[in-house]
Amino acid sequence: MGGLLRKIRGTGRVAEAAPPRPEADPLPAARELGGSVQVRCVDAGSCNGCEIEIGNAFGPVYDAERYGVRLVASPRHADVALVTGPVTRNMAEPLRRTVAAMPQPAIVVAVGDCALDCGEFAGGYGVEGSVVDMVSVDVSVPGCPPEPAAIVTALRTLTGR
Amino acid sequence: MNAVGPALAAVGGLAVAGALAGGLAPARVRPLAAGLCTAGLGAAGVVAGAAALGGARYGVWLPGLLPLAGVRLAVDPLSGLFMAVTGAVTVAVAVYGVGYASPGGGMHGGRGPGDEDAAGSAGGRHAGSDAHEPRDALAAGGGDHGVRSRGAQAVGPVFAGAMVLVPAAGSVSTFLLLWELMALASLLLVLAEHRERPTVRSAGLWYAVMTHLGLVLLLVGLALFAARAGGESFAALRAGAGGMPAGVRGTVFVMTALAFTSKAGLAPLHAWLPRAHPEAPSHVSALMSAAMVNLGVYGLLRVGFDLLGGGPAWWWLLLMGAGALSAVYGILQAAMASDLKRLLAYSTSENLGLVVLGTGAAGLFRAAGDRPLAALALAAALLHVVNHAAFKALLFCAAGSVLRATGLRDLDRLGGLRARMPVTAGLFALGALGAVALPPGNGFVSEWLLLQALVHGLAVPGAAAAVVLPVAVAVIALSAGLAAAVFVKALGVGFFARPRSAGAGRAVESPPAMLAGMALLAACCAALALVPGALGPALTRAVRAAGVGTEKPLADGELGVHLAHTSAALHPLWVALALVAGTAAVAGLARLPARRRARRRDARLWDCGGGAPTARMAYTATSFAEPLQRVFDDVLAPEQDVDVTPVRESAYLVERVRFQRLVPDRIEHRLYRPLLAAVSGLADRARGLGGGSVHLYLGYGLFGLVAVLAALVVGW
Repeated sequence: MGGLLRKIRGTGRVAEAAPPRPEADPLPAARELGGSVQVRCVDAGSCNGCEIEIGNAFGPVYDAERYGVRLVASPRHADVALVTGPVTRNMAEPLRRTVAAMPQPAIVVAVGDCALDCGEFAGGYGVEGSVVDMVSVDVSVPGCPPEPAAIVTALRTLTGR
Repeated sequence: MNAVGPALAAVGGLAVAGALAGGLAPARVRPLAAGLCTAGLGAAGVVAGAAALGGARYGVWLPGLLPLAGVRLAVDPLSGLFMAVTGAVTVAVAVYGVGYASPGGGMHGGRGPGDEDAAGSAGGRHAGSDAHEPRDALAAGGGDHGVRSRGAQAVGPVFAGAMVLVPAAGSVSTFLLLWELMALASLLLVLAEHRERPTVRSAGLWYAVMTHLGLVLLLVGLALFAARAGGESFAALRAGAGGMPAGVRGTVFVMTALAFTSKAGLAPLHAWLPRAHPEAPSHVSALMSAAMVNLGVYGLLRVGFDLLGGGPAWWWLLLMGAGALSAVYGILQAAMASDLKRLLAYSTSENLGLVVLGTGAAGLFRAAGDRPLAALALAAALLHVVNHAAFKALLFCAAGSVLRATGLRDLDRLGGLRARMPVTAGLFALGALGAVALPPGNGFVSEWLLLQALVHGLAVPGAAAAVVLPVAVAVIALSAGLAAAVFVKALGVGFFARPRSAGAGRAVESPPAMLAGMALLAACCAALALVPGALGPALTRAVRAAGVGTEKPLADGELGVHLAHTSAALHPLWVALALVAGTAAVAGLARLPARRRARRRDARLWDCGGGAPTARMAYTATSFAEPLQRVFDDVLAPEQDVDVTPVRESAYLVERVRFQRLVPDRIEHRLYRPLLAAVSGLADRARGLGGGSVHLYLGYGLFGLVAVLAALVVGW
């Protein structure tokens, strides 16, 4: 316990200073969320590069939670689905069901180039299509992989904070 | 005009007529004829009992009916109460039995819808029509075995008649004769389905041995009593009991109490009950569990209070100990049981434990000189006998309907019956409400009275009372709490959720005769739950007849229950109305927001992406009981066995995992197994005595005779 406290004191604050609030108006659908956004991640067939960046976005340095974003464990609890990767055959139906299981308004954020146009994996035999082909996407974050700061910025357009 | 005599004659006559009808009538009308006779006999029993409870006394000696002793009958309000209870249960169960023995149902005929796809499914083995068709045709035509057979239909009315008449017995010989007739008839009925299941035979063996050991104890105890009292009629015993030395009185009480508590299914002499009650045909289970076990209590009251005229405190402490033990132990075993009828049988052990606890408390208060409190405790015990008879008969009948419709008793494989058998499910729920001892069920009233008696008993002087009564209160509270878990399990796992096997999925509602029988019992439960105060005067007379107190334990003429000597009062009707109003209000409030926001969206069930949930994922009875088993691990000592078989190539690749768990009856393990081993060891050694030589046997005869003569010379 003492070691932990010493470690906390020695490390200090690692989170970067908050960048200014994004200028773009939040989505009309996101406005009713009132600045508190619950997020469910869906890996639809990603190489896991985007997952590492999402993990960093919610880590201590970028700390997305301070803007009102929270990761949850079930689509029943989620306002937003954070989808990564090209949609593989086996994940096409689960992805549709996940979005259908979310309470309305269900907002979908596509993260990474693969989610937008299948990226490197376009035309692969196990790839069904991009996320845009499967469900209606509200916000997209390009990049291969996108930087954590880009993911945080996209999420801040939803919280408006 | 005394109605008791003609009514008793009608009981006897209808029992004989029912036996003849069951034995001689053609198979098609056999269940109806025997059932009508049994129902009539039960109604006559109710008439006799009600007349006796109204204050009519009756006594008769028929010397011609039986050689040597003759038949002596004596009826007072105490016998009346037990006759009325037995008769009422008999009427309802007889009506139910007509339907139960009629052809059809998953177990007997396998005529449920969708029978064609039964092969290969989980329940197909039990309920499939292939295996049963030839035998079923045989049973319907010739009727040589099963519930519909000549034998079972002929013995049924005899069993019911003997049970109604046992409380009317007025002498030792008549009592023992009727008692043994009841035991033998019930044994034959337990064995009715011995061809269907091999377990029936072992259950019958246990029951036969234990009931006859009980009879031997009863015979010796009452013979000793009659020899010392100088007469075998109950009046002579009553007169002679006062002059007997304390040692003899104690011996008589302990011997008869052992026999009577064994009949009532009290631990540690309960081993036959969870075997015989589930294996009997369900209407017989209902009769045994709701009526026959009561007669053990009747015997205790008759001999302990009436004939022996009460006794020292240690008698009653003994009874309270046995009652408390079986109350807690019975309900714990019920919590572990996943066989529906076994669960109900253990619950019988629990409820009779509570009754005997109340009886013991009454004896303790009487020995301490507090007559009003003794009367209250005994009234509570008697009311619990009545309540238990009503709800347990209902529960066993509902379990029988489930068994008949699905061929299953295993809760782990039932489920989904609420949609398929809605009436049965509702009736079972009503019975379960009575059994959990919560308002507005009928069991609540009597357990509340019992608790009142025990709590007020703390004023009784003596160290024993100061130690025992708080423990007894705790025991009742614990058993009531566990009973709630038990019946939530039975109702929730057995009737709700999805069917867990093909047999449960194919269930159809029972025929009207069975529903009518259960509806009668349900009406009794509801009446007992709402206006128990109506029984007040009858209970007062029965308590007075037992010689416990001349005071009124309950105030007369009230719909609610008012204790006459303390300020406590209970109005079950108002409690029920308040509960109904409260439930309706909560339901209405819950609907309000839903009405305001009418926008609804139909969505698929969220299954975590793992595919639709199957019935195998639902809670089973075993998993429901697991936390309780963990809490009571030291008491129950479950046996668990995990067997992991790896593949041949590598110890890390598992081919098969076999998990087995058994919650054994620990009393049985510790007490009966060594005893049985010792007996069979002795028997093996005794085999050496029979060497085959005639000279040896003649020698045994000679030595035996000399030993008896020597004992007579020295002893007398």
